[in-house]
Amino acid sequence: MSDSGEMNDDPVQLARELEAVLFLSPDPLTLEDLCDLAEEAPGSVQRALHQLEERYGAASGLELAEVAGGYTLRTRDEVALICDRLRNRPAEDRLSPAAMETLAVVAYLEPITRREISRLRGVQVDGVVSSLVERGMLEESGRADEGGAMRYSTTRAFQERFNLKASGDLPPLERFELTGPEADSIRHRLADTGHVASADDGDDGDDGDDGGA
Amino acid sequence: MTVETTALEQRLSLELFEGPLDLLLTLILREEVDLLELPVAELASAALGEDELKWEADTAGELIVLLAATAELKARVMLGEQIDEEPDPDAMEARERLAARLIAYAPFRRAGEWLGERAEVGRKHHYRRAPIEDAVAPVQPGDVAELAKVMTRLLIPPPQPALGHLTIRRVSLPEVLTRLRNALATAKRISFERVVGDSGPLEEGMTLIALLELARRGEAQLEQPEPFGDIAIVPAGT
Repeated sequence: MSDSGEMNDDPVQLARELEAVLFLSPDPLTLEDLCDLAEEAPGSVQRALHQLEERYGAASGLELAEVAGGYTLRTRDEVALICDRLRNRPAEDRLSPAAMETLAVVAYLEPITRREISRLRGVQVDGVVSSLVERGMLEESGRADEGGAMRYSTTRAFQERFNLKASGDLPPLERFELTGPEADSIRHRLADTGHVASADDGDDGDDGDDGGA
Repeated sequence: MTVETTALEQRLSLELFEGPLDLLLTLILREEVDLLELPVAELASAALGEDELKWEADTAGELIVLLAATAELKARVMLGEQIDEEPDPDAMEARERLAARLIAYAPFRRAGEWLGERAEVGRKHHYRRAPIEDAVAPVQPGDVAELAKVMTRLLIPPPQPALGHLTIRRVSLPEVLTRLRNALATAKRISFERVVGDSGPLEEGMTLIALLELARRGEAQLEQPEPFGDIAIVPAGT
């Protein structure tokens, strides 16, 4: 919005304004938010965003990103180290493979209960879900019905962490399916090792274990 | 079967193998020792004793069972049979179920790996976390008295709501009874619906109670040929 309150026909001023609100906002702003704030049409806002994107080039410490459902200014990866120091973030902040698989299950099937995740992964997941909630990657998102189990969904922090544009910005699950020969090789491997483990319920595994092949 | 530990741990010195008996048996089961090359007779004499029995009868008996099993195993291998036991249909089914589950889960496992690759990229960015403060007018130091004045008003109980404009309708049971008795004195049969006419539910209810009271006292008889239909009131003794 221009100070005069009139429609803004100055693209430089619009870019300035968008830069200012993106700088201030703790949440990503959607194109709609930006249009409302600037009282401008989507076309002009997109052009101004493009200008900003160019301005925040490799020489800048910041970049304009489309992530977690909107546009946001974030620090560039080249300056990660100094930002980690500022925020006292440990250099090693990795998620375990078990955590990663649990996140994948939730991301594709959210909202989903612990029991459903556990059934799919074949191991107990209470610990790993709690730790992901603690780390802000998952959040409670209500119960299916009164007295039902709590269901979990991924968070905005999850989308930021994995650089996803929005919730559900994932490749189709079919892309990860096993091919026929790969599935056969699993069968053969089980037969070769004489695996006769009961497959009826895997809830008795532990968190550290992974439920995969 | 429990073979005495010392019998299992006894060191053997065979052409093919040197070491404790239990290790040899384990290696045989794991197919790490070729049974075809293992002379069972040599193994038996080494384990039981060349010239005289090294063990108590019980221990020796159990050792013999073990050696016999080894001999049977060797016989099977010689006949080209698998060492594995006969495939158990339950085990096969369980295995197939497990395979199906692993295959169904595999996409999520791979999606987890995919996320893992992206995590490294996402990890290197930082986002602004400072919330935007709401524009709230700061409280001035002198405003405490003002606050007290405002809060005091909350402590005054509100006036009781006036009910004067509401009228309470009263229907007296004796009155209804009298009216019904008068009506019964002059008529042979009265319709309940005509008695109540257009009166409201309260009057209707009271009239019904009055009717039941009359019936109880034997002053009238009630007839209702069909459920929810009209009730005929007939004076007693007619």
